[in-house]
Order: sequence, then C-alpha cells, then structure tokens
Amino acid sequence: MIKRTIGIVGLLIAVSLIALLNPIPQEQPSPSRWLKTNAQGQVMSPWSGPWTCVYDTKTQLLWEVKTDNESIHDGYWTYSWYDGTQGVENQGDCYFEKNRCDARDLITRINSEKTCGLDNWRLPSSKELLSLVSRDTKPGEPLIAKDFFPQTKRGDYWTKDSQQRLTGTFTYLKEGAMAIDFVNGHLTKLPYRNASFVRLVNTGYVEP
Amino acid sequence: MIVKPTTSWALLHAFAIVFILINLFTGLRIATLSRPWLLELSALLPQGALHWLHIAGACGLSATAMAYTIYRFNQRPQRTTKTKETTATTEKTETLSDKYHRGLTWLAYPLVILSLLTGWLQFIDSALSVVDIHFYAALGFLLYLLLHAGGYFIQYGWPALKRAFIPKVTGSKPSWIIVLPAIAGLLLWYGIGYQPSNDLPVKRIPLTTLMAIDGITDEPEWNDAQEITILTRGGANFLNGETPVSIKVLENGAEAFFNISWQDTSKSLEHLPLVKTKQGWQVKQDGFNQFDETAYYEDKLAIMLADQCDSGGGGTAHLGPKPLANQPANFHGKGYHYSDDGKIRDVWHWKAVRTNNMHLADDNFFGSPVRSRAGDRRYSAGYIADGKESGAYVMNWQWYKPEVIVPKRLPKHDELIAPYQMDHQAEHLQWVISWFDYTPYLAENDHYPIGTVMPSVMYRSNRFEGDRAHVRAHGQWKDGTWTLELARPLKTQSQHDVILQTGTCLWVSAFDHSQVAHTRHQQAIRLLFEGEHD
Repeated sequence: MIKRTIGIVGLLIAVSLIALLNPIPQEQPSPSRWLKTNAQGQVMSPWSGPWTCVYDTKTQLLWEVKTDNESIHDGYWTYSWYDGTQGVENQGDCYFEKNRCDARDLITRINSEKTCGLDNWRLPSSKELLSLVSRDTKPGEPLIAKDFFPQTKRGDYWTKDSQQRLTGTFTYLKEGAMAIDFVNGHLTKLPYRNASFVRLVNTGYVEP
Repeated sequence: MIVKPTTSWALLHAFAIVFILINLFTGLRIATLSRPWLLELSALLPQGALHWLHIAGACGLSATAMAYTIYRFNQRPQRTTKTKETTATTEKTETLSDKYHRGLTWLAYPLVILSLLTGWLQFIDSALSVVDIHFYAALGFLLYLLLHAGGYFIQYGWPALKRAFIPKVTGSKPSWIIVLPAIAGLLLWYGIGYQPSNDLPVKRIPLTTLMAIDGITDEPEWNDAQEITILTRGGANFLNGETPVSIKVLENGAEAFFNISWQDTSKSLEHLPLVKTKQGWQVKQDGFNQFDETAYYEDKLAIMLADQCDSGGGGTAHLGPKPLANQPANFHGKGYHYSDDGKIRDVWHWKAVRTNNMHLADDNFFGSPVRSRAGDRRYSAGYIADGKESGAYVMNWQWYKPEVIVPKRLPKHDELIAPYQMDHQAEHLQWVISWFDYTPYLAENDHYPIGTVMPSVMYRSNRFEGDRAHVRAHGQWKDGTWTLELARPLKTQSQHDVILQTGTCLWVSAFDHSQVAHTRHQQAIRLLFEGEHD
C-alpha cells in the first residue's frame, strides 16, 4: 500500500512537472527569403525594426524600404520618370525637393545618403521589380511581402526600362517607361510625365 | 453499501468515466480563456475546436446520469429485500474503506448535478451567474477522481481497474438501461444540432426614415423594435467577467440598423498611451507584448455574423497555443479564430478610439487560416481585415518594443497634448491625434519632461474607404452603459461580408479595455426579417 501511495504521489508530481516543463511555446522567427538590414547595411532579426533595406537571398538584390516618416524614403512620394537625359523632370510630389520630384532626385539623394552603406542605387529592371510581386497577400493589400516591404502603395512603380512606345490614349506622347502595378502585378507602359512610386534597387550588397 | 458491479453498472461507470474526462479536459481548456492562470496546465490540455466536444460530452454525461438514476431506482426493490435479509451481516462487514468510498460517491452525486445544471444554464445563456460554480464543480471532480480512483488504486493496486470495469455479479446481463445513455445522448446531440437560436424579429421601416448613426437612440422607430438581451460571459475586467448585451435591429429593405447597448462601468479610451521616462518614450501596457493587453486598451464590441448558427463562436474558436500544427503558436496561449468549413464569418469590430471617431466599425472576417509571414511576429490565423482602398489609423511608434519606443511624430504645439497631462479620464479627451497636427520625430525636438503622456492612436486620414468601411457605427458611453448604433447595407457584394436576411445568425462580444479577452455567449441570435413576409 505504501508503494502504491508513493506511486500516486509520483504520478501527481510527474503530471505537475510535465505541465511546468512545457510552458506556452514562445515562437521564434522562421527563416525567410528576405533579410532586413539597418541604415548601415547590417542584417537584423526578422522581428526587429525599423529597418532600411531588404536583401533578397533569391535574387541577390538589395531593395530600398519605404517609410512614412517624410524622409526621402517616404512611401507616399511620387516621381516622374527622368534620368538626366530622357524623360520628364519634376512631375511627382515629395517634401524633400524645393521643386516637384522625379526619379533622378531620389537616386541622387539616396546615393548621397549612402543608404544601407551603398551609393550605386538605381531604378530596377522590369524583371527585377517583377521578382517582388507576391500573390500570397491579404485582401486589399498590394501584391508584395508586406511584412518586409511596408508602406507599399496599391499603385504603379517605375522600372528603368524606358523608350517604350506608348499606345492608346498616350500615343501622342510617343515614349514612356515600364512600370509595375502592384494592384494586379502587371507590367504597364506609362508616359514619363506620370507621377508614380519608386523603389530603388542595388546590386552591390554582399550578403554577410 | 457499495454497489456490486453488475454488467449494467460497469458499462454505466465506463460511460461516466469517459464523459467526465472529456468534459474535464475540454472544460479546463475553455476555462483558460477567462482564467489565464490555468495556462500553466496547457501542456496537459487538448487544443483545437473543443466547444462541440464539450457539449457532446455534456450530452453523454447527462444521459448517463439519467440512466444511472433509473438503474438505481430499478435496483431498489431487490436491495430492500436483500437489506432486510442481510442488515445484520452488512453492518458487521462494512469496512472503513467501504464507508470512505460510499461517502465519496455521495460527494460525486451533487458534483454531477451541479456541473450539469450550471453547464446547461450556460449553454442556454441563462441570466444566472453560474460560471464560477461550474468551474469549482469541475475542480471538485478533479479532487474526487484523485480520492476515488486514487483511493481504490492505493487499496487494491491494478486489480482495482478490473473491479471498476468488469462485472462482479456473475451471470448478470446488461439491462436495457445501458443503451439509454447512447440513445439519449444522441437524441440530445441531435436536438442541439437544431438548437433553437434566440430569434430576433427585425421590423421593416420606410426607406425614407432617417436613422442617425450617432449612438443616440432617440429615433421613435427604436421604441417599436423588439429587444433581446443576452448575458455574455468570460471577459476581462467586467464585474464577474459578465455583461448583459441588449440588441435591437431594424431594416428598410436596403440597410439594417443595429442598436446595441451593454453595461461597462468604465469608459476606457486610454489606448496604449505613450509616457516619457528616463530611458525614453514607453508604451504603457500590461500584456500587449503577448497581444493580450488588459489594462491600457480601449473598450470594444465585436459582432460576428454567419449563415449558420454553430456553437463555439460559430465553429471558429480554436483553443490553445498551437491549434494549427503547421502554423505559429499564439503568444497568449488562448487560441485563434478561423473557419475550417471554407466559409467566412463576418466580423464587425467597433473600437471606442480607433474606429469610433471615424464613425465606423472595422469590417473584418474569420476565414480559413492564412499562411504565417516570416516578418510578422503576430499571426492571427483566420482573423483578417476586409480590403480597403485608403484610410488608416496608425500607432505613434516607429517600431514597437516593450522597453522603449521612438514616436513617429511629435506635436507641433505643446498645447495639443497639454489636456492629457491632467485627468486621463476627462470626458473631453478623445485619445486620438491627427497626423497633420504632428511632425516627424526629431530627437532635437523631443524636449518633453519625464512623465509626459501622449496618445498613440493617430489618424492619417479621416476614415477607411472600400470594403473595410461597409459598417457605419458610432457609440456613446453614459452612466455605465455603452450605446452603439451600426448600419450596413443588407448586401454589400463583398465576398468577405455575410448577407443580412432571415436566418442570418449573430453573436456579440464585449471588451472592457482588453485586447482579446472578450465576453461570449453560446446561443446564436437569429434574425427574422418581418419585411420578407410582406
């Protein structure tokens, strides 16, 4: 009888230990295609922030991350397509230029700032920008991994692919550049003067 | 005297063991929602959609209890005869152990009655406060099992199991009574499947009648609307965790209007305020880091609508830290809402600060669980917001950390936050700040003294637009009662909204300055549109 009493007490202790030694699991970040980096280009944990750039381990591209802090990276700013020789200057809207804004303004400022430690930022190609399109989104969200690319708008983002012959209502403007619409993930030709969003890319980042 | 284990008795005993264990384990998991300390036992409790199992167990236990009553009644004449014959010997042979177990058995009877009675009272959403009694009866059962089963084990060892499950009266055949639990339980379960929901007639009003959605129910049409009051239970901060919610609904053929009121002694608008400390700005919180804030949060009300009326949050409540094996655990351990029948449940989430000043409720839904995202610390399974075209509230921190945060913006003028430095409960404080009254944070502008309080909910634009803005809503708090008016088109054409029509079922949950710890009720409220019969 004593042995059995000890057995019951042992069972109670074992049950208590099982409960105590198995607390609610605290999740840890899971591995991801994307790596956050800070303004100096140092990699951060997926659940930390704020972050400045995102490195795509699949394409080896480093992407600018948009903000809502009214800096040059603010996601609300729009730009006309202009590279210094072709396009249309200053047809977008931002706070950081005296005049209105174009893509060259952002490239100049971001290279001068050495965002994420780099100074060779540029507009992405259509193929590069299309690599960001994701269909795994929640209702109403832009088609992108919003957990890494916040402040992405449901709108058109410029690519570097210019000298595109315009058709339809824009035929009279002759040429424009390719953009990607993050509402449906499609490529679209837009006149240079169009005020669209911009996300810059960099191929000079070396994964640590 | 101890009952000799006949075959019928052994089967009834086995039924009772199974149903009691089902109810204890599922019930303790359900209880973790309102008694978080029980999460210490989480590893021992089942996870998932457990409400139906708890109710099924209750059906089985109720039927077993009925069958056992009949069984004992049928046994009575034999026992009386035998008693006369054997009284003298029984008195002599009854041991201390027999007396102990007989006493314990008499303890089990009131526990069964109490558990079933209080359980069914909760199931029918009785206005009686019986949650605590139900819980303590469950704890009583745990103690009983220990003393009863443990006592037999100590006394007899493993043969006690044989004694419990194998009939000792040789040649005894199972009586017809033993099929009663199965039949009665199935009948009860079948009946519950067609449970009579609380029907709420919805009166039609002329399309030309103006119904102001302002939280002031002074339109005469409300006087003619039928009211239903449901006692909702299990929420944090409410007195006894309970609050009665009264609901009236009207419709005009194009839109439905809801008038919902509930008791809440405190008007809570102080939503995760920021306070300046020696280390920097901090978010005042007590649980927000685990997504279960219960101190510094706004009051809320959620309404769930569905085209079916299942119990357990319309079948969407999946309890436990990790009810989805291939998705992340939740930090608070309570569970997730999601549907696993491929259908959505419409959820209107009115928030006293974040949406009340937009004159909206947040139009959300419970759908199939989405895939987790590597960059999101919080996974919300099937709880998803409808899409929006624009409009947002933004929290005034660049990135949330439990220790110190950096605000997104600081006020353009100190006067903007001066009222918040005095009485935090003052009537005129809205605890919402305007994006354009504030400027981006710069350390050199952060001259605020330690102790400065600043609201954290910031309106970037006036309100949501698009699918997420289908539900107009505004609430007013007065004398310990929130009164909320809502309006939504009967059909929105959104795949994330439920059509409002006869047969649409709804549930309500109130939140008293808590993030997820809401009250709930079992029986759906079924809308009956009187206009459809014209």
